Amino acid sequence: MAGLIVRRLLQLPLILLVIYTLTLTLAWAIPGNPLENPEGRQPPQEVIDQMKAQYNLDNYWAFYTTYLDNATGLKWMREKFDGTHAIDDQMARDQGLAPRVRYVFDLGPSLHYKDQRVNEIVAISLPVSITLGALAMLIALVVGLGAGVVGAVKPNSFADISTLVIALIGISLPSFVIGTVLLIVFGVWTKVLPVGGWGSLSSFVLPAVTLSLPFAAYIARLTRMGMIESLDADYIRTARAKGVSNMNVLFKHALKNAFLPVLSFLGPATALAMTGSFVVERVFNVPGIGQHFVNGVQNKDLFLIMGVVLIFATMLILFNLAVDVLYRWVDPRIE
Amino acid sequence: MFKLLVPVVLLAVVVIVSVVSDRPLPPADFTISNGTDVTTLDIQRASWMQDLRIMRCLFEGLVRHDVFTVGYDPAPAVAQRWEISPDGLVYTFHLRGDARWSNGEAVTAEDFVFSWRRGLLPDTAADYVAFFWMIKGGREFYDWRVNELARFNPKEASADELWERTLAKFNALVGVKALDSRTLRVELEAPVPYFLDIVAFPVFYPVYPPLLRQYERVDPKSGRLKSERGWTKPPRLISNGPFELTVWRFKRDMRMERNPHYWDGANVAIDSIAVPSIEDPNAQVLAFQTGAVDWVANLTVNYRGDIWADKVEFYAEHAAEYEALKARGLDIFEIDRHLPSDPRKNIHAVPSFATYFWNFNCMKTLPDGRANPFRDPRVRRAFAMTVDKRVIVDDIRRLGEPIARGLIPPGSIGGYESPAGLKCLSDAKDERGKLAIAAEARALLAEAGYPDPAEFPPVELLFNKDAGHDLVAQALGKNWQRYLGVPVRLEQKELKVYKDDLKKANYMTSRAGWYGDYGDPTTFLDLLRSDDGNNDRKYDSPEYDALLDAAQAETDPARRLAILSRAERKIMEEDLPMIPLFHYVTMYLFDADKVSGLNPHPRTTQNLFLIDMLGDGKGPDVSRRMGEGAHRPAVAGDDGDTP
Repeated sequence: MAGLIVRRLLQLPLILLVIYTLTLTLAWAIPGNPLENPEGRQPPQEVIDQMKAQYNLDNYWAFYTTYLDNATGLKWMREKFDGTHAIDDQMARDQGLAPRVRYVFDLGPSLHYKDQRVNEIVAISLPVSITLGALAMLIALVVGLGAGVVGAVKPNSFADISTLVIALIGISLPSFVIGTVLLIVFGVWTKVLPVGGWGSLSSFVLPAVTLSLPFAAYIARLTRMGMIESLDADYIRTARAKGVSNMNVLFKHALKNAFLPVLSFLGPATALAMTGSFVVERVFNVPGIGQHFVNGVQNKDLFLIMGVVLIFATMLILFNLAVDVLYRWVDPRIE
Repeated sequence: MFKLLVPVVLLAVVVIVSVVSDRPLPPADFTISNGTDVTTLDIQRASWMQDLRIMRCLFEGLVRHDVFTVGYDPAPAVAQRWEISPDGLVYTFHLRGDARWSNGEAVTAEDFVFSWRRGLLPDTAADYVAFFWMIKGGREFYDWRVNELARFNPKEASADELWERTLAKFNALVGVKALDSRTLRVELEAPVPYFLDIVAFPVFYPVYPPLLRQYERVDPKSGRLKSERGWTKPPRLISNGPFELTVWRFKRDMRMERNPHYWDGANVAIDSIAVPSIEDPNAQVLAFQTGAVDWVANLTVNYRGDIWADKVEFYAEHAAEYEALKARGLDIFEIDRHLPSDPRKNIHAVPSFATYFWNFNCMKTLPDGRANPFRDPRVRRAFAMTVDKRVIVDDIRRLGEPIARGLIPPGSIGGYESPAGLKCLSDAKDERGKLAIAAEARALLAEAGYPDPAEFPPVELLFNKDAGHDLVAQALGKNWQRYLGVPVRLEQKELKVYKDDLKKANYMTSRAGWYGDYGDPTTFLDLLRSDDGNNDRKYDSPEYDALLDAAQAETDPARRLAILSRAERKIMEEDLPMIPLFHYVTMYLFDADKVSGLNPHPRTTQNLFLIDMLGDGKGPDVSRRMGEGAHRPAVAGDDGDTP
């Protein structure tokens, strides 16, 4: 187990480097200039050239290496040990000002949002998305597992068919439709839940439910399939013959095996749910990280694109690792 | 079994930790939907409306606009008084003694020198850098620095030495001097009658130099002054305005609280302003309807025409009262306050400092070598006359936008008289009247050498594909086909391609618009100057240029405005390089019975420190009216040296 973790963690930087190189090359090729706004006032050409030079936007390789230097923490370490940080902080204290905030892994400045660093954007929006994603996965697990078990106990019964129909709706309807319907019913007509924003627990409910539906539907189908298969297995018949109660058969014996495919789905699904959904965030006005994937590309904001893609990639790899570890722990036969 | 619960428990822990650690803020006195989040609070680099709105709360310049006067008159702010030399070239500002930064330090004349130098430096990359070129030596200093940076080679010279030379050059060349810590002397390149209006614009507000010095470094490799981000965030940001920034969670919310060190705090009637970031236009409407937001600053939702139609219906139900109130000269918000309470009246169409128009290409030949029929002013006049602006405003836009007869929105600049403009189809009462105007227009065409309109070269109408411009183009095309009898062709393009065509004058006629930057007719009229970078029509009239030059040389303000009015008459009644169609409106959502302090002036500058929530017990709780000024008693903060 320890070997697996060490091996995967050693692979992580290599995978990230490949993703970094591919994404940067593609993002570099997006037409347009990130420093211009087509509808706004234009600064003089010298000013644009000036900014291009400042951010290395005129030189792919300079950008490539400078970004790596900052994002990997190499620059931070250099400056830490040659004393630059200490001198800076002393200067600030002499002026009676708070010392500057520094990031070990510096993801650079946003090109479009002139006051924001990508680290700050991520620090504000990622916790929101993680919370929303966690709640959505929680709902998806409870609802999905429940529906799956109900369906598997009596295949083709009314309960099974109705969960199938609901699951199909959950998978096939886009979230902007489901989200808007929920919003109108619970926010506008009955006014039991807030129409948007982020703050109290009640404001989490509608976006989390909307985000959870496709995952819940998928989990329900996976559980049902797994349950039907394991309920047919010999060890279940043996358990029943021993006189184990129906509940124990279902939840202790059958579900344990049926859960394994769900578990492997959970890794990528959680990473996906926790890195935000542009649509759900927009409909419910949730300040998550999903919007920055779209805004970044629209504004050709290279630093922001690279930042959110690298965060997503890291989370995806780590969640897959976590699931693999859980997998082995739940089912020690797997090596 | 319990192993299966591990993922569930882990997820639940994440949710609980988040709910416990991230408590919602208490409600603020005033909550606004500012559209998308602020792009920057670095005032010298300001460019966007939503940024300027917040900057006016956090910072304060030498003067500010009194937004409740028709002329948007400059009112004392950090400067208590000022003198202007008789030749209009030298401004001496006397700073008040009790102007303070939010950390309690005094605001000094040196702070302004530092800030304006920052705005002028090419290193800052300010969008509005050209405003600083009005100052004597500004352009020269800017060009010098650009050249020095281009020539800079770290192997031959040191960046610090270049920076020292830059500071010396600025002091020697540029006409901004701190005579003492409370006197600022500004010398201009040429007289600018609207200079005080410009000084009230946020890019001329001060930043706190010690804070900026911490974040700005001279880069040894390029010689440039590089600025790091982070100083605009609370708790680091130090500002000098009525409010200070306490929370800024990007794309989530912003919170401003009363600045205890502000000199005029006694006249601020609210303690806090919340600015949740709501990007989706529909979500903005919902937030307003559920009471989560008090003011939607720019309603862009695509069904706003329908919401406006409800208001028109509401006015119709109270027509007699409405007309009586209007006759009393009340502003549109005051009229609403006198009408019965009704949710339909919460939408407001505020005329804006902006005009939607249709360009003619005025060059002799089109870029592809064809002869250009629109080089002849008589042809342009004929086309401008055969346009039904009423149909565009009432049936296509449906936003209550006023028909434009000139380029400059009437009533937006105090003391300026707008020309009557050319007559057009919408002036006619009935179809017969329209046909009479059309006959006149066809006579003009014949005079210009097109006796048979069917043989007129096909008229191309260029527009970008968004925002309903296609409908406007269709309406124009139909007018010209029907009343002039010329063939037309619509050309719809992507925004970027359209912009490119416009810049290269690669079109016959095209859609365009312009928002004024400052309170002077030249903010619009300069568009038609033959050498102006925004002269997309390539209009080239020595007479017109001469009128603008004459206005520039004129020192008497009234005579100057009269000359500019003549210039506008020339382009709007004789030469018609473009057809003005309508003036834009900005749509607000707010309950006028509850909120006071927003003004309906076409310049649409809102100073949120004037907001008073009516009936909340804070402030005078009396609504403010357009035309009577912002009621600023000079007592607060007087320190005895008022002349």
